[in-house]
Amino acid sequence: MRRALLALALLAVAPHARANPLDPFGFGSRGAAMGGAMAADARSFDANYYNPAGLVRAEGLELSIGYFRASHYLKTNGHDNDVDPVKGLVGGVVAPGEVLGVPFAFGLGVHLPDDRISRVRAFRQETPRWELYDNRNQRLYLAANLAISPTPWLQLGGGMSFMSSTEGHLDISGLANIFRVEDSTLRHQVDADLTSVRYPQFGARVALSDRVALAAVYRGEFKLKLDLTAYLHGSISELTTAVYQLETHSVNNFLPQQFVFGGSWLVTDDLRAALDVTWVNWSAYVPPVASLDVHLDIPPPPGGWPNGITPPQTPAKTRIAALEMHDRAVPHLGLEWRALATRAWEGFLRAGYEYDKSPIAPQTEVTNYIDRDRHAMSFGLGGRALSPLRELPGDVRLDAHVQLSELASGATIKRDPADLVGDYTATGHIWNVGATLTVGFK
Amino acid sequence: MRASALGAALLLIASTAHASPEDLFGYGARSQGMGATGAASAEGYEAAYANPALLSRMRVRKLSLGLQGATFALDAGGDRLSYARAKGTVIGVDLPVPFGGVLEDRVGLGLAFYTPTDVVVRGKILYPETPQFPLLPDRAQSVAVRLGVGVDIGWGLRVGAGFAALAEINGSAIVATDATGRVGTRVEDQLVATYAPAAGLTYDLPLGTRAIWRAGLAYRGTLDARFAVVIDATKLSSLNIPLFNISGLAQYDPAQIALELARETPELTLALGATYKRWSAYPGLLEPTILCPADNADCGALTPPKVAYTDTLALHAGVDWAIEVAQPLTTHLRAGAFTDPNPLPSRVPAGQAYDPGQKQTVSVPTRYFNAPRVALTWGAGLRTRKPLPPIDLDVFGQYHLLVPTDHTSDDGTPLGKASGHVLVGGVVLGVRF
Repeated sequence: MRRALLALALLAVAPHARANPLDPFGFGSRGAAMGGAMAADARSFDANYYNPAGLVRAEGLELSIGYFRASHYLKTNGHDNDVDPVKGLVGGVVAPGEVLGVPFAFGLGVHLPDDRISRVRAFRQETPRWELYDNRNQRLYLAANLAISPTPWLQLGGGMSFMSSTEGHLDISGLANIFRVEDSTLRHQVDADLTSVRYPQFGARVALSDRVALAAVYRGEFKLKLDLTAYLHGSISELTTAVYQLETHSVNNFLPQQFVFGGSWLVTDDLRAALDVTWVNWSAYVPPVASLDVHLDIPPPPGGWPNGITPPQTPAKTRIAALEMHDRAVPHLGLEWRALATRAWEGFLRAGYEYDKSPIAPQTEVTNYIDRDRHAMSFGLGGRALSPLRELPGDVRLDAHVQLSELASGATIKRDPADLVGDYTATGHIWNVGATLTVGFK
Repeated sequence: MRASALGAALLLIASTAHASPEDLFGYGARSQGMGATGAASAEGYEAAYANPALLSRMRVRKLSLGLQGATFALDAGGDRLSYARAKGTVIGVDLPVPFGGVLEDRVGLGLAFYTPTDVVVRGKILYPETPQFPLLPDRAQSVAVRLGVGVDIGWGLRVGAGFAALAEINGSAIVATDATGRVGTRVEDQLVATYAPAAGLTYDLPLGTRAIWRAGLAYRGTLDARFAVVIDATKLSSLNIPLFNISGLAQYDPAQIALELARETPELTLALGATYKRWSAYPGLLEPTILCPADNADCGALTPPKVAYTDTLALHAGVDWAIEVAQPLTTHLRAGAFTDPNPLPSRVPAGQAYDPGQKQTVSVPTRYFNAPRVALTWGAGLRTRKPLPPIDLDVFGQYHLLVPTDHTSDDGTPLGKASGHVLVGGVVLGVRF
């Protein structure tokens, strides 16, 4: 019975909060294929995410567009939980130049999901969910950055990413006809704002030599708050009056701050190795559960309620259970081999690996924020055409990637043998495939 | 009507938008100082809004950052209505694409953004009897995102295309009591991108004179964003609760066609144009809270007032006078004016509301106000070249006068006069690189 309930619940739900879809799936095919080990190596539109300092290394204007799809096969108790795929366009612009003799660049990076800009799904805190993978699924990513290179061996960059929070007020008034609902004479008005949320990212890259570089990147924390009030007032079929006031506050999306330290080593003219370590401040995570403050006043009608009608009661205030999470250091490893090099063409083979140890403490109490350790292995191909046309004096690059994330199987054992959801096992994998086309101008 | 039901509903009432600030004030400090002209005369990233065909004129990369603000002093029926200032950041990017061969110096990309400082989008859908200017101040509280590409075909002909993007929201909230007797809520809402196409062409008339005479034609598609949220608490308890349809069209720019003629010399640019706006297609702000079922289309639910908006023709004129102060320094003085007629009829239908005192549905006046605007604009610019830093600095100001306009309810009740003024100003700094 519990298994059936759990399966049904998971079939019905998916993400609650959201975070950055680029963290698990990369930004652009080159980065995804190299396990996200790009802090010291990014030099194209992907530098908008991996390290803004890299933008200034572009040799000319670059325009990039691509697509990826990450399909989840996440299961509990053997049942697929139908977590929606992450899919959409990626792209960006890098415009390098000089200001007062100093190399300068502007960059814009975007991931635009196919189906939506963002999505909120809100459930009770007991409802099972793949918290982190759902978190990172359904969201726009938009960042603008600037970079300079004050000396040939130093690049600095920074910028902002953009999202929005919500605050507002809803008012519904009129007559609710409980005998003929379609004859209810209700009206509504809305006064709501999507407020700006901007969070920063900064990066630095130091070239120790022509072959070795180190990098450091900071990505800021952000929260998407939802602060709303409501006032519902009117008549219930002229039997009695109803007044309903509500105030709710929640954090619907939380992205922890991150520090990345990375290095890139051109081992030979054709082989590059890169290693990044990302420290993620998961311990600051805010549970995605709304606090509610409700006032309900529905006096009984003279003579009492008609037979068969039970008036609604004021629900108990939500008691939000703590969500314990731990900071994590996430290693990323990438290799790139230039397997083909002619005057007109270059070909690349890439591979990468990433390990995400789950930051979520065992879910032994009432909440069910499911997560498992993730091993992500990736592989990629790249082709580069040099000055392919008179009209294209730069290059054209086509990269493709495939990434397999394996989530280790594990059991969640509840402390309370009468827990509504009960014990369960969880495991799964994620396939991420995509391609990116870049046109570079000199 | 549990707390969870309403809470769920509120989670969904996220983005209600109003129309674009560029439709109200024009876009870009140069254009805004020149009477919001641009279909034949725009420069740089400003052409992403005014006419993407002119993006092909760009030759130098430039990043522009600026600030813009507007204050509203609007009177309705003798009362000053309170509206927040609209202030935001302008970001523009000029990207000439350095193709070679036959495409050399022929293709340009432009990115034009405006982001309000405090909000991304403001949605204010009030009861119709609340005095309000539904087409003016809150329309300035919305993000603007426009991208375009322009191509120089040759023979004086340029073409361009682009789009504007916004977001709308749709979703549902289902509240029910589960098998164990506990209340469960399922809320899902999505922000979905909406796009409006833009296209344009310009033609340099072959008059053989030193001055370039250019005709420009630009089309901007309807930019709208609806919010549509359904709250279903019918399975919450034995109390029969209707479905709540919390929906409306909070954001709307009508489809429009701009036609302009410009005369350009290195010293002087003159522009004169008109913009047709198809307001008659505007369906209005609100939708019914209770939808009648298909088999009972004439149910007793309230319907919002249906206002018949009318198409408008706005006129624009502007001038830009360039003065070379020194070899590396050029200043610009600009002036202009434009009109924006009122699409809202002076006589609007009344709305309906339930009156708990009378215990019946009563008629309430629709206090929508608007008035034709006449705007005077001015601006100045500074262009520096080597050995000075490669900088463009532009400032502008606008004064909008609302021509006093009487409004009446359709039952003949006078609602009062709409009047007031709007002040707009901004500064943009561009760096060429």
